[in-house]
Amino acid sequence: MKRIGVFVCHCGINIAGTVDVERVAREAEKMPGVAFAMDYIYMCSEPGQSLVREKIKEEKLDAVIIAACSPNLHESTFRAAAEEAGLNPWQCEIANIREQCSWIHSDRKKATEKAIKIVGTIVGKTRLNESLEPISVSITKKALVIGGGIAGIQAALDIADSGYPVILVEKDSSIGGHMAQLSETFPTLDCSQCILTPKMVSAGKHPNITLMTYSEVEEVSGYVGNFKVKIRRKATSVDWSTCTGCGLCTEKCPAKVPSEFDRGLTTRGAIYVPFPQAVPNKPVIDRDNCIYYKTGKCRLCEKVCEIGAIDFDQKDLIIEEEIGAIITATGYETLPIADLPHYGAGEVPDVIDGLAFERILSASGPTTGEVRRPSDGMIPKEVVFVQCAGSRDPERFKPYCSKICCMYTTKHALLYKHRVHDGQPYVFYIDIRTGGKGYEEFYHNAEEEEGIVYLRGKVAKIFRDGDKTVVWGTDTLTGRNIEIAADLVVLATAIVPTESTADLANKLRIQTGPNGFLSEAHPKLRPVECINAGFFIAGVGQGPKDIPETVAQASGAACKVISLFSRDHLEQDPAVAWVDEDLCSGCRTCISVCPYDAREFDEEKEIVTVNEALCEGCGSCVAACSCGATQQRNLSDSQIKSMVTASLGGE
Amino acid sequence: MAKVAYYPGCALNERSSHLDRSARDATEKLGFELDELESWTCCGAVPPVSKERIMNLIAPSRILKDVRDSGRDMLITICDFCYNTLKRTNFSIRTDDIIRKRVNAFLADDTPTRTYLEEEKSPWQEYEGEVKVVHLMEYLRDELGYAVITEKLKRSLKGLKIAPYYGCVMLRPFDEIQLDNPENPTIMEDFVRALEAEPVKYPYRTECCGSYLSVSSPDASTRLCYRILSSAMKNGADAIVVSCPLCFYNLDSRQKVVLDAYPDFKTIPVFYFTQLLSLALGVGMDRQGFERHYVDVSSALEKIGNSGERDKA
Amino acid sequence: MYKKLGLDPPDNPPIRLDRTKVRGEFGLQVDELSGQHLFACYQCGNCSSGCPLAQEMDILPSRIIRLAQLGQKEEIIQSKTIWICASCFQCTVRCPKGIDIQAVMDTLRQIALDEGVDHFGPDQIDSKHAAEVPQPGLVGVYRKLST
Repeated sequence: MKRIGVFVCHCGINIAGTVDVERVAREAEKMPGVAFAMDYIYMCSEPGQSLVREKIKEEKLDAVIIAACSPNLHESTFRAAAEEAGLNPWQCEIANIREQCSWIHSDRKKATEKAIKIVGTIVGKTRLNESLEPISVSITKKALVIGGGIAGIQAALDIADSGYPVILVEKDSSIGGHMAQLSETFPTLDCSQCILTPKMVSAGKHPNITLMTYSEVEEVSGYVGNFKVKIRRKATSVDWSTCTGCGLCTEKCPAKVPSEFDRGLTTRGAIYVPFPQAVPNKPVIDRDNCIYYKTGKCRLCEKVCEIGAIDFDQKDLIIEEEIGAIITATGYETLPIADLPHYGAGEVPDVIDGLAFERILSASGPTTGEVRRPSDGMIPKEVVFVQCAGSRDPERFKPYCSKICCMYTTKHALLYKHRVHDGQPYVFYIDIRTGGKGYEEFYHNAEEEEGIVYLRGKVAKIFRDGDKTVVWGTDTLTGRNIEIAADLVVLATAIVPTESTADLANKLRIQTGPNGFLSEAHPKLRPVECINAGFFIAGVGQGPKDIPETVAQASGAACKVISLFSRDHLEQDPAVAWVDEDLCSGCRTCISVCPYDAREFDEEKEIVTVNEALCEGCGSCVAACSCGATQQRNLSDSQIKSMVTASLGGE
Repeated sequence: MAKVAYYPGCALNERSSHLDRSARDATEKLGFELDELESWTCCGAVPPVSKERIMNLIAPSRILKDVRDSGRDMLITICDFCYNTLKRTNFSIRTDDIIRKRVNAFLADDTPTRTYLEEEKSPWQEYEGEVKVVHLMEYLRDELGYAVITEKLKRSLKGLKIAPYYGCVMLRPFDEIQLDNPENPTIMEDFVRALEAEPVKYPYRTECCGSYLSVSSPDASTRLCYRILSSAMKNGADAIVVSCPLCFYNLDSRQKVVLDAYPDFKTIPVFYFTQLLSLALGVGMDRQGFERHYVDVSSALEKIGNSGERDKA
Repeated sequence: MYKKLGLDPPDNPPIRLDRTKVRGEFGLQVDELSGQHLFACYQCGNCSSGCPLAQEMDILPSRIIRLAQLGQKEEIIQSKTIWICASCFQCTVRCPKGIDIQAVMDTLRQIALDEGVDHFGPDQIDSKHAAEVPQPGLVGVYRKLST
């Protein structure tokens, strides 16, 4: 019989406050197979871990059980300790008596009984544990970055600079993302384009970066180090290999489509380049709005293109790539004003959102930086900025803080004031949040020196009255309601994940949170990784954040990828499914239940094998197997039986 | 005996003359004389805020200029209001060119009526804030040194627990006064220690007593005084020590009203710092003007009794 | 307007803000006379928290500053607060933005006095008080609270 050691942790008072840990240890000692048991205040501390190591040697233990917190927290800690003392790591098990016992119960007696049973089940399992060796898999050292905003660009550049090839996929025809739309950036007021374009150009020219714009990820299969990815290169209807980007076609196109880049403040043609600094600077035909595709007539662009680059018959291309790691940087959109009925539902012409105001402020924007309102081109003298338009409103809209609005609204008001000296900006806010280097000072300067009036209260209603836009707000600091007959109203609409985020997350099998943002593996300690190995995240797709934070996160994600690529092989948990070839009938039920495509039919042997690298050890196939051919390592039927018996109080 | 220019101000000249007398007695024992200015006017009690109200700066400026013109560079005051007004006026003249020019224009204008100029003893010279304005307690701390007081003690105040009350204008506004840390001052506690008594620290020692609201909103002042006095007592004080005539008035004579308003209240003696100083230096009880206090001081004096008397001469 | 309609004015009408009120005559006057900058205040409320006379006031000091920022002269000069402030400088030494709030209060009193709102005239003091109070109290009260 095995000699098992049981170590019961107090976790300060987290466990010992509810569970009689001494008694748990005493009872454990009586269990079959247990040769030694003890309790200690903090098992995970260095003295605690060295106790485990010493006792393994002293008591000649060949398996250990740590009765403590969730295995998510410290399984790897204790397995490493066990290995140091000469045990196979898979001979170390965790009995969770904190999350599953002490934290959720208050009756000390019953909780102690339950803790004893939990330890008993794990003893039952451990008695039959095999020693395992990790599975080794090779790595394809090539990264995929999805999303060509500043996050994607930064991550791609960092990985490419360290010598690994990167494919940068962007759904629009140019990289640059929202940052390309911005006028100036807080708190230093650098011109956004000036700091972004050099990076766009570098990404476009980098020998290690393959730019795939106007493209979308279609399908992802495989596992960390060995993904297979299908990318759809949408038909641009222009042969980019011959197109010189002269721009004649975009000038002559007779179609008028609201420009997405200018937030509908200007129009573009059906064949267009989204903005002059686009990378690559090549046009695409928007087939939904092209007169030729709609009516069969026009082809004006084809006539003016001297080199004959227009190709109306071009088809979408599916490209397959082998990839080792994937960074998702899908960015954001803003809540449409149409969704905010109390703020005019998008029907009041002089109520615009922050990105539209960025275009108005931008030197390359529709008014070349002169502040003019959309309805009649008048220079607005009374401008109201409304924060939390859809944010921090759990009942009606989004519960979260969009984080960047306090700062960009301050910037908007400041830039407006710099352009219209006799104008008055007002900012309605609930709280001003300026966590960030130089941010508080930026806000103070705006309030103190630039004459921006901050009014503390959420705006209730906005409506049009003649050529004025009336804002009903309040100022809780005076206790008085505030009414402003404004010339222009700018809403800081809530930041939301891009529409395609959910669909893409499904394809990648990575998780999203309740508000649709991509989920990180741990909010503090693993902020750029997904739970699934080989997937990383960066930028606003993970949650609202500003440019410095986005760039830092992107570099962090890139660094994780580079660290992954620095190894030649990966080790994976061997506690996965295996097949007793003699028992397998080849019914293939397991293939249909496997969520990871890890079960493959072997035509020759007529059995179903397990791709150990793909298997996550979820146990679905084990449960589904009707002839008992599929078993899970260290969770065999006999182990489960032994655990059930122990949990029912038997031995 | 050394002489230092001294500006008593209105209150010390009349309604708070016991503050003035005990100060003169004490300093004499310490070996210097408070040399009262030959002629002086009211300083105005509260310095103006606006540059528009330049007139309010003229009286204090003239006092300071007279000191400078008499060839002295330091002026002692005792009343906190006078100290605040003179010191801040000086600060404005030193730091603000416009104020300095405007004030001097007025001073120049009224010079023909001044006798010393008629005699042409002293040629006209712009006042630039040359005089250093010091509070008597500041003088004791920085110029004389508290150790000298302890050396010259005739009667130790050992056994007496004294709660210093700072009030407002002795410490604030700090940028202009710079006497001590406005949130955690020690000048009075150290003074109490120099007399070998035990200072009592309590949270209300720098909270306002109501100042001139005593006249316009007496109830507000009563509430404030009650909070200050009971805070001191709660922390074990036998007596309160102050330096300002208005603080003294509010904390001492207002106890009459406090007693009526708050049934739980018990009275506590209030002293001027100069009274304690002169007592400790051996000046007689009869010269302290204790009969002018509303609250009988004997409960506190009994604590030191005669056992404190000693001969150090 | 309300009188003409035969109605009582509302108790809490909205402030109809525009450029002329925010940086109107009143705000500029306060800034100039006090030598302070009203818009430096970011409404942390420290002045109110530590004001020994807050309990006697109808409007807290921080709110007085706020009303001044928004040009609400009438509400300020009709308030009790400006006359209750004892000029103790507690707010001034504590203001994290370095605003001399006491100077603003003095200025507001001055503006109110200039408008003929005489708070405390010599006839309002009782003779017993007048005979007892040390001179700084008398000089202070008339300098601060009456024309």
